[in-house]
Amino acid sequence: MNYLRPERLDALARDYAMGLMHGGARRRFEQLIRTSRAVEGAVLAWQERLATLAAPVPPLQPSNAVWQRLEHSLQAAPPAAATAAPPRWGWLTGMLWGRTLAGTLAGLLLATVVLRGQPGLIGLEPAGETLPASYVGLLLDDAGKPTLLASSRRQGRSLTVKLLQPVQVPPGRAATLWALPNNGDAPFKVGVVPAQGSATLSLSAPAEKIFFSVSRLAVSYEADARAGAPSLPFVLSGHCVKLW
Amino acid sequence: MDEGNQELARLLSRVAVRDQAAFRALYEATSAHLLGLAYGILQRRDRAEDVLQEAFMNVWNGAGGYTPTLATPMTWLINIVRNKAIDSSRVGKTERASTGPMIDEAYAIADASEREPQHLMQSSLERARIDSCMAQLSAGQRQAIALAYYQGLVHIEIAQVLGAPLGTVKAWVRRGTDRLRACLEQAGVTA
Repeated sequence: MNYLRPERLDALARDYAMGLMHGGARRRFEQLIRTSRAVEGAVLAWQERLATLAAPVPPLQPSNAVWQRLEHSLQAAPPAAATAAPPRWGWLTGMLWGRTLAGTLAGLLLATVVLRGQPGLIGLEPAGETLPASYVGLLLDDAGKPTLLASSRRQGRSLTVKLLQPVQVPPGRAATLWALPNNGDAPFKVGVVPAQGSATLSLSAPAEKIFFSVSRLAVSYEADARAGAPSLPFVLSGHCVKLW
Repeated sequence: MDEGNQELARLLSRVAVRDQAAFRALYEATSAHLLGLAYGILQRRDRAEDVLQEAFMNVWNGAGGYTPTLATPMTWLINIVRNKAIDSSRVGKTERASTGPMIDEAYAIADASEREPQHLMQSSLERARIDSCMAQLSAGQRQAIALAYYQGLVHIEIAQVLGAPLGTVKAWVRRGTDRLRACLEQAGVTA
């Protein structure tokens, strides 16, 4: 079936957004949303239209237990170390948040400039004048300084990371790189990055499959290098973009 | 983006950097509305609250993935909750069908008539000021859309509820939502 014929795609996106698809079809279509911008766009457009219908739904106050369970989950994250102070979230609030859109765009532009100027820096060796299709992430520290550059060829199975300035990883912690999907799914781990220099992380699948719907990358200093989900604040964070 | 959504976008950007106070503020601002939506689909407060909790854990972990240029914050939140509620309702369907309508006395919901799908749909159209544009829809078209959106019913279930043939119900939903799109475009509400 050709899902991408515009009329067909629109009809499917509408059925999905309405909630009219059954289990199997629903799962398959969700897979498609994750791998095609056209499909994602069609679904988002319908979801935005249908959100109009949600406005008058009478609110229902959740019982206190819901927040208590959420709070418990937030705090159940494994402590960094027995002697370490509990993670303090407040200090981070000013981080990144203060950055304007202009700052973000400047960061992306910088990434492009860095790459165009020195493609060899991160292992991109273009055959011609143009850079190969790649995913690129530029992560900034809390002062807004570019700190980590990550890149992978679109169909590559490895991700090259380069520290643009050394980071201070607390003893016993692992600087862990996370990918943040743009659909609200939980972040997933990409790998552990060094405190300085460069490294190549191997990917479990081609970059296209892993990063297609990822809009941001972030680093936290995890106490457990095997952690499957971030339990501590992000110390570096930035956009993940397609370079093609 | 209106003022409310701008504030939600601001909160989401802080949740993305794991600000618990912002998370709490976001929860306070949106959880009652989102629970109302989940309740409409699941018709059970306990299951709707489970969905709400799961959805907010997703928000905590995934706020960094929210892209303001793709969706308004409220739509993004609604999508997470509705998708989870629909998944949960499909899983529990057999159980629900065999036990009949759930009478949840411990959590009796007083304003049942306000939650009636037809009523909600009419209010939403009035709020968006597209009620006159949508007036030409037949009762069947309206009911089909309302049952799908507010209660998460699929075509065959809508056909059973309304006592109409499946093909007719599919056409009602299609034409009704086509009209909704046209009216919203005309009103300049969405592109």
